[in-house]
Amino acid sequence: MENKKPLSPHIQVYKWHISSLVSISHRITGIINIIGITLICLWASLLLLGENSYEAVNLLLNSQIGKFITLGLTWSFCFQILSEIRHLIMDLGYGFELKTTKITGLLVIIGSIFLTIILYLIGKNLF
Amino acid sequence: MIAATKKWIFLKISGAILVPLMAWFILSFISIYDQSYSEVLEFFTNPLSKFLFSLFIITAYFFSALSISEVFEDYIKDYKIKNVANGFLYVSAVVIPLITIILLINL
Repeated sequence: MENKKPLSPHIQVYKWHISSLVSISHRITGIINIIGITLICLWASLLLLGENSYEAVNLLLNSQIGKFITLGLTWSFCFQILSEIRHLIMDLGYGFELKTTKITGLLVIIGSIFLTIILYLIGKNLF
Repeated sequence: MIAATKKWIFLKISGAILVPLMAWFILSFISIYDQSYSEVLEFFTNPLSKFLFSLFIITAYFFSALSISEVFEDYIKDYKIKNVANGFLYVSAVVIPLITIILLINL
């Protein structure tokens, strides 16, 4: 069957703005998150194999690479949370003015970094 | 109500449910990811954690399947490829959380 629906114009067509950056990042982090959640499901399932088999996973998670992946995934989750809240507020009909979309877009980008740091410090009882 | 409107409503409801669950999971994950086997096991065998984690993965896969299918809709022109991709996506969104929850129950 022939698909007559138009495709979205490719992202390279447009000049980059804060709102387009947040929009495409929302999609990218969404895909990263579901890959991350799949790995987390695998991690939880590996507990069934017992303590000895879990040792290799524990070594990886305690390595620099493991910490980097964890921190990266935390940022990706934080970005998704703030961006989703922004979307929900816009769905209620607020924040469509050009200046407001720029401000909320910046809040999502900068806020996700701060939220990552804050949640990491709380999670590690460093606060 | 047309299918696209229903899909949009489901996407928004699951998105709103996912926000607090994701925040809870990040905090929990950061506090346990580098801990010993017994501590991680304790987290996943705790009834409340098990319930919230199950709810989190069900909502996350449901939300992701709907939102990633939108990406396919926007960027895949070939009807057959789009159908296969969507089929794989929807099956994964059911099978992965289901298997994980069954395994967690048996922990």
